[in-house]
Amino acid sequence: MAILLLLPALALVAGVFLWPLLRYGWLSLQASSVLTGLVPVPNGGANWQRLLADGRFWQDAAQTLRFAGLSLALELLLGLALALLLHRPLPRRGLVRAVVLLPWALPTTVMALGWRWILNDPFGPLNGLLQSLGLPAYGFLSQPATTWLFTVLADVWKTTPFVALLLLAGLQAIPSELEEALRLEGAGPWQRLRRLTLPLLAPYLLLAALFRLAQALGVFDLIQVLTGSGPASSTESLALYAYLNAMRFLDFGYAATLMLGMFAVVLGLSALVLLAQALRRRLAEMAP
Amino acid sequence: MTTAGLHCEQLSRRVGDRLLLDGLSLSVAPGESLALLGPSGCGKTTTLRLLAGLDPVSGGRIRLDGEDVTHSPAGERQVAMVFQSYALYPHLSVLANLELGLEVRRVPAPERRRRIAEVLALLQLEGLERRRPAQLSGGQRQRVALARALLRQPRLMLLDEPMSNLDAQLRDQLRPELRALLHRAGHPVIHVTHDQQEAMGLADRIAVLEGGVLQQVGTPQELYHRPANLFVARFLGRPGINLLAGEAGVQLAIRPEQLRLVESGGLPARLLRREWQGSQQLLWLDTSRGELLLLAAADLTPGEQLQVTWKPDDELRFSSASGERLA
Repeated sequence: MAILLLLPALALVAGVFLWPLLRYGWLSLQASSVLTGLVPVPNGGANWQRLLADGRFWQDAAQTLRFAGLSLALELLLGLALALLLHRPLPRRGLVRAVVLLPWALPTTVMALGWRWILNDPFGPLNGLLQSLGLPAYGFLSQPATTWLFTVLADVWKTTPFVALLLLAGLQAIPSELEEALRLEGAGPWQRLRRLTLPLLAPYLLLAALFRLAQALGVFDLIQVLTGSGPASSTESLALYAYLNAMRFLDFGYAATLMLGMFAVVLGLSALVLLAQALRRRLAEMAP
Repeated sequence: MTTAGLHCEQLSRRVGDRLLLDGLSLSVAPGESLALLGPSGCGKTTTLRLLAGLDPVSGGRIRLDGEDVTHSPAGERQVAMVFQSYALYPHLSVLANLELGLEVRRVPAPERRRRIAEVLALLQLEGLERRRPAQLSGGQRQRVALARALLRQPRLMLLDEPMSNLDAQLRDQLRPELRALLHRAGHPVIHVTHDQQEAMGLADRIAVLEGGVLQQVGTPQELYHRPANLFVARFLGRPGINLLAGEAGVQLAIRPEQLRLVESGGLPARLLRREWQGSQQLLWLDTSRGELLLLAAADLTPGEQLQVTWKPDDELRFSSASGERLA
């Protein structure tokens, strides 16, 4: 009887999540490209062998992790600082909060175009600033070693407000007497943050980290518009490589394999974060 | 004049154009317990927060053991507070809740352990050290909050509605225990309440506040028998005091327990309704001088014609204009 009531929800999950996943799984075991006339032909796991040997896949995986790791760290740090600032009594607090959220409300493609102009060599405002200080112009978007840092910069600029908003909700859920009690016990601001606020904010930090990690590992639009994977594929992410295989090379079998490979990476990392959290909680319970 | 204990002079707190507290002057001696009593919004919690240093003072002075602490930060005043919600740190065990303040003040570990063991024994909290606040009963939470406050070795102990989160039975049981404990500790104690029974049960003296202004300070007996004004007379005592019309410009008042039913020679009264309260009945009487409340042991039925009397000496006389008590 209970299963009957769950059925509509299960059907929805199966339809939008399970079915595409199974379809990808099936497709990853087919040759389906221009060479087969776009007709799926079973190829006995050749796509998976190719994936394991594909240097570009592993390089993109490393680049994607690099991008997601640094973005996540900076966004949590800056988001926390911003949330703490917004939590204080400020004049015109509602307006300030709305303004802070603006970057997040901007469509990514529009935002990325804006940054592409800011970082333009040699005509962008940032190079204008460098030159007015007597420094040479810098190719922000043409240096394979450093361009990825500017994709991180744009991502941090856009999503820090989102993280801040989430953490602000967490801060507001902490009763103010707790902080006052600790103040009366003689604790300074840093001690209150470390001993009270951060432990109570931990579930919100974890939630923000999971949201941002899953999103950053699948990054597509920002990089597509800002650098187009360049220079020399140095900013290419896994999602962009999969897109390239499907839409440019029309190799649907291999693109499905890449998607599943990426899915495995995201799933594994998220599981790792949750596991670390469970372990931390278990240790905290064992401590006196 | 002694310097030990708490002395505050002309203490005020203004927020925008609202005066929350207006020129409060009070002294509390070491070992003495004072209750701040009044209805919601009368300024009692405001007073507590000013004394603790949680809100800034708009005017006046606070001296603790002779030291002017009017503008000292909360953490440096050596004032402890038990919050209405108890404000236990939810992520920490009972032990860690007690230890955090000592760690923050850099008390060495052996001394921390000794003092925590002492206070755990005093408040009968042994065996609960590893529990989280969520796993404690209301009474246990109150004791942990009290233990944490005692570990502060305060020069002044503040309690904000310490009993309001407990059920009535537990309150009656804990009141004498809390009173004994606070007296033994030997620091001045101020506790805020809107419950007069709690104020009388816990405090040596009561300060009644209304509209941010101190109405009267005194022992519970003084406040009950010689109220300074009509507000104090009406606020204290359950069932409430009876108001009677007097000569021009005078408001008379008489406590319900001072009214007696007589066979003849009294003020004629008709019984409107009654409330059975166990040993006594609470009666509502309609008389030519207004509606009167009185307590009687006799079993009476509504509609009966009665006669009521009282000693003229028991009447309290107030000015109708100012509400102040007339001699």
